[in-house]
Amino acid sequence: MIWSKEETLPREALHALQFERLQETLMRVYHNVPFYREAFEDAGVVPKDIRSMADISKLPFTKKQDLRDNYPFGMFAVKQDAVVRIHSSSGTTGKPTVVGYTRSDMNVWNEVMARVFTMCGVNSEDTVHNAYGYGLFTGGLGVHNGAETVGATVVPSSGGFTSRQLLLMKDFGATVLTSTPSFALHMAEAAKEEGYDLHKDFQLKCGIFGAEPTSEGLKKEVAQVWGIDYHEIYGLSEIIGPGVSNSCKESPLLHIFEDHFYPEIIDPKTGEVLPYGEKGELVITSLTKQALPIIRYRTGDITALDPTPCRCGRTHVRMHSVMGRVDDMLIVNGVNVFPSQVEHVLSSIDEISLNYQIIADKKGYLDVLEVMVEVTEAMPMDSLGALEKLQKHIQHALLSNLYINAKVKLVEPRSIERSMGKAVRVIDKRSL
Amino acid sequence: MSYAIKQLSVFLENKPGELGFLTKTLSQGGVSIKSILLADSSDFGLARTLVDDPEKAKAVLENHGLSVRLTDVFGVRIDDVVGSFDRVVSLLSAKEINILYCYSFYESSSGIFIFSVPKEQFDEAVLALIAHGVEIIQAQHFYM
Repeated sequence: MIWSKEETLPREALHALQFERLQETLMRVYHNVPFYREAFEDAGVVPKDIRSMADISKLPFTKKQDLRDNYPFGMFAVKQDAVVRIHSSSGTTGKPTVVGYTRSDMNVWNEVMARVFTMCGVNSEDTVHNAYGYGLFTGGLGVHNGAETVGATVVPSSGGFTSRQLLLMKDFGATVLTSTPSFALHMAEAAKEEGYDLHKDFQLKCGIFGAEPTSEGLKKEVAQVWGIDYHEIYGLSEIIGPGVSNSCKESPLLHIFEDHFYPEIIDPKTGEVLPYGEKGELVITSLTKQALPIIRYRTGDITALDPTPCRCGRTHVRMHSVMGRVDDMLIVNGVNVFPSQVEHVLSSIDEISLNYQIIADKKGYLDVLEVMVEVTEAMPMDSLGALEKLQKHIQHALLSNLYINAKVKLVEPRSIERSMGKAVRVIDKRSL
Repeated sequence: MSYAIKQLSVFLENKPGELGFLTKTLSQGGVSIKSILLADSSDFGLARTLVDDPEKAKAVLENHGLSVRLTDVFGVRIDDVVGSFDRVVSLLSAKEINILYCYSFYESSSGIFIFSVPKEQFDEAVLALIAHGVEIIQAQHFYM
């Protein structure tokens, strides 16, 4: 099943629609967002210079830092009374990345998420157990609204509380699971330990997984252990949230909803646009967003585009599962973490030095983050209780600023590995 | 003459060989340990030691990458009879002096208790005990 006719538009008609929408978007940002007017002027372009989709390469890129610099609403192209929803993610300098939605944006979001569910064969007869986190993150609510749009029964369970989630999944007869793939595996392990029979006790037929880089092995394991079809979803709040692309039943590649999001692949070093098939950084321009239109946004995700026609009948180009990052961003249980954010939090605490190391690892199927901090003269070195209190304080500061549950470990001075005189700040022991 | 004994508090990670590293470093540095108290949390520990030369011990340990803090403590000599320790603690309690921690060692018929109290209460504690005829050990006693 296909949700909307735009998904199967012949390529030429699609290009015409894209170009028409791009022109509208450019006019809006040029007139309503001072940041874009300046950026266009710096690049020596005005909207009318863009005469075809190929001309998009004349436009400047937008980076995550631009959103931070214009915190909170400087990038918005509408007045506050038109905004019906705000989402946000944590930020490097204490300032989060804020995104907004008008009623029309919400409709687009619901629409693309409805396409996602339909693409996975989900309809009003299904019960969707949604274990993506609810709140400021786009994951929980984005998936929720899409499932409701196709008429499915949604169980908004959010993250955590594994035992209770399993009980609800069984008793409510969930047929669809939406979560990060590592949480799906974690739940499978817990279910086995609690004596459930994964195939008999549950009625799951498919899962829609995303929000973290996932190896082919892990995907296969999730599909096998639950006995379900594995669908991958991709998205980021700066573009809309979940629902930028999703894999259909025919292949693991993800269809990008091109009538709303225009994708390019660039060389992350030179910024040059690369042809289809080549690996590089994914750049996306929103074509219909009202509150926060975004031009050539650098996602930081490494992937490649595949234009070959898909057997499912959709004409939208497909992207490969994300292969890596251009920056040092870590994804920990679906939450984006930049080492610089951790450093910022640590630097706000007087007693600690900035000799720290972040270690990402797996415990079972879940990610764990350990932050090692060297002790210093400034610490209350004669009291165990005071040191433990400091340890908890750091842990709490990381949780409240970055939304990550990190384990803080105090270590001896100069015990953090230095390489060529430079401390190694991040060790990622997880292998894809 | 001083009653403030310089005690070393050394931060140790909770892993095998850590205490050995501390004791080997001190022994190779020619430092003698007079008393030691180990305290631990799940992740780390503190070794509190009295040594014959605190400044030298601190330098030696720091050269080997350990984090060391010198803290003033005082020692009380007590006869090995029922009620003698209670008497000292009661005297401090009566003055509302907070005992942070305390450890002991024996010398034939008497024992020495080492007390740690908040810095600002140190002098008050020592004077209160002396006023009641409690024997406070001279710091010099350890430094030889």
